[in-house]
Amino acid sequence: MEKDFDAIVVGGGLAGLAAAYTIADAGLEVLLLERGDYSGAKNVTGGRLYLNPVREMFPDLWEKAPLERFIAHEELSIMDKERSITVRYDGAELVQAPYQSYSILRGKFDRWFAKQAEKKGVAIVNKNRVDDLIIENGKVEGVRAGGEDLTAHVVVACDGVLSLLAEKAGLRKPGVPQDHAVGFKEIIELDRTTIEDRFNLEGDEGAARLFMGEVTRGKFGGGFLYTNKESVSLGIVVGIKDLMEEPMVQAPDLLDAFKLRPEIARLIKGGETSEYSAHVIPEGGYNSLSKLYGSGILLAGDAAGFSMNIGVTVRGMEYALASGYYAAQAVIKAKEADNFESETLAVYEKLLNESFVMTDFKNFKDAPRVMENPRFFQHYPQLAGNVMKDLYEVPAGSKARIYPTVKKYLTFGEMWAMFKDFRGVKKI
Amino acid sequence: MNIVVAMKQIPDLQQVRIRNRQPVFEDVPYTLGNIDKNALEAGVALKEALDAKLIVVSAGNEELEDTIKEALAAGADEAYLVIDDSLDNIASDTSATLIAAAIKKIDDVGIILFGEGSGDNYSGQVASRVAEILELPEVGYAKEIELNGQSLRVTRSLEESEELVEVELPTVITVVSEINEARIPAVTQILKAGKKPKEVVSPHELEIAIGSVQVTTLSNLAPETDRKQIVVKSVDELVKALTTEGLIGR
Amino acid sequence: MSELMGLKAKLGLDVFKHDKEAHIKIKPGMEKDPRLKRAVWVCPAGLYSENDQGEVELTIDGCLECGTCRIACGIEVLEWNYPNGGCGVQFRFG
Repeated sequence: MEKDFDAIVVGGGLAGLAAAYTIADAGLEVLLLERGDYSGAKNVTGGRLYLNPVREMFPDLWEKAPLERFIAHEELSIMDKERSITVRYDGAELVQAPYQSYSILRGKFDRWFAKQAEKKGVAIVNKNRVDDLIIENGKVEGVRAGGEDLTAHVVVACDGVLSLLAEKAGLRKPGVPQDHAVGFKEIIELDRTTIEDRFNLEGDEGAARLFMGEVTRGKFGGGFLYTNKESVSLGIVVGIKDLMEEPMVQAPDLLDAFKLRPEIARLIKGGETSEYSAHVIPEGGYNSLSKLYGSGILLAGDAAGFSMNIGVTVRGMEYALASGYYAAQAVIKAKEADNFESETLAVYEKLLNESFVMTDFKNFKDAPRVMENPRFFQHYPQLAGNVMKDLYEVPAGSKARIYPTVKKYLTFGEMWAMFKDFRGVKKI
Repeated sequence: MNIVVAMKQIPDLQQVRIRNRQPVFEDVPYTLGNIDKNALEAGVALKEALDAKLIVVSAGNEELEDTIKEALAAGADEAYLVIDDSLDNIASDTSATLIAAAIKKIDDVGIILFGEGSGDNYSGQVASRVAEILELPEVGYAKEIELNGQSLRVTRSLEESEELVEVELPTVITVVSEINEARIPAVTQILKAGKKPKEVVSPHELEIAIGSVQVTTLSNLAPETDRKQIVVKSVDELVKALTTEGLIGR
Repeated sequence: MSELMGLKAKLGLDVFKHDKEAHIKIKPGMEKDPRLKRAVWVCPAGLYSENDQGEVELTIDGCLECGTCRIACGIEVLEWNYPNGGCGVQFRFG
């Protein structure tokens, strides 16, 4: 049957752009529909893209890409109410090109990426929401947008974490709280030199900082700070299930309290907030991935559940780019075979299984369950803070001996509980 | 007959933010003025009634080729564009010279439509200047345009009254936003827009030199108003104070 | 930044394009549903509030389209869609 397009990609985020870019590069007719004013208008990131896993998939893309700063310093802070412990990591590999990760702003990057996709031949239509799928005899035949039917051999649904299209296609059910977190952040503008001075950076170097513990009142999640060229991205990620439970706290208050922490306040002093954004993040891991394809439809990016939180790194964008790329490969293969049924599109899952995407998801499939342990976000930050306080404290009288100080906290019961907790960590 | 709609590429004003009391235009996407879109919609209606061709004329920087797709999607048949990166922030007289020169290149122009004012500066000068250069009549504040044989009957929306005028073609007409509701183009129309004919010329080809801008904006702020500092203790006092100020009970 | 910015002021920094209808609606009769009350806590834009009668109210202006309320409360109590094309929040930085 004649179709308007070989493929219609829904959603101009990273997965959709990666898919459309790759499909067009192979000479196929592809339409990308984006509901925002431009690609990136509806997208939010914490702020960091790891390039190594996806560099070769888009070899021409990175040289001129509007990325912010390459991450040259990593810090992890464990926060108790009035104290924190910070581990800083500097490594030679972080400052050697090609750099492994960059801070990124999606409003800038996605818009630019969309231009590159157009140059490859993708027809991009912004400001258009896809309202429905056209499904005939169980096969997706196109989409309905603005009262029009647009047909294609295959629809690549990259419509984000809630993926209403995947629900309509029967590939997934509405998301549940335990599999999702919400991230919200401010962009705080500061002069380039102020950023470089405060974070001890040279040139285009950037810093990445993660915070856990009191920052989420012990709830599953953490705080983050990434330096951009002329701003910092400062925000919180917190599990939605935990937000629904005691102790009750209003989500936005967490960010305000975070900004008031002396460790943070001095870093953003004099800065001007220029945007506040929020987005749900899929965090259910391997066990809550959607069915990835159906007859005439593929899911990629957050729509499929491709995002992962393993504590020290929260990653989604590389998986979005890679899953978009593999979805495109599946479309190209289906076009060669002139068959867009699910048997042919199944190659998508095979490609993902052979790639870093599914390898990561399988390796870290226990991470969400292990990380759910509230002791990691409440008890250990407190314990570590107290030990450090006593170690560093010089009271008016004599200072206690170090071994008994530490032993006071590390009782047998504590050690046994710790052993059990960290046995779980071995699964990650 | 050809109908011309002149439209201006402007920054999406909702995307402009203020930093250090200055507007930031960096990365702000371009769009077409809202009243310009009403003029286009009026052009589409006339084009259908007259079986004419609708040509959008515009001058601007290199982004214009992309921005103008919105007009081609919403019903224009062709575009005639004057493009040069020096055409950012040009004064109304230069705009008018360029638009008039472009219109002269188009044959058999019967109606030239403008929005009453541009979406950014709203100087409201370009249409009148173009009419003057082309030696055509101009009807402003059009809220209704009706075809009457070879002439047009135009209802003008004046502040306290409406005026009905009849004008012979060719003519310049400027419209107000209440004339219609501009359509939002569908996906297929947007896709077709990219394939519609576009003629792109430089100011040089039109033999027009772009002079330096002679009007400089020194400041662009909301008017400062002093608070009256009147303290009231009861609703009656409040009503009395407001009446004295002439704000209520007029 | 020593002074905190109110949530309303923060949202005022963002670009919002008006939509002709609310894209999220509380389903009729569900105003007092306990599932809906979760939204009061989880919404990053603080758009849900509980009135004196114990009913949850939603102000759609300032919606960041993050999806948290749909995940937390579920579609039995909320009619949830994205805004029309070209409407709603438009992030400059994201």
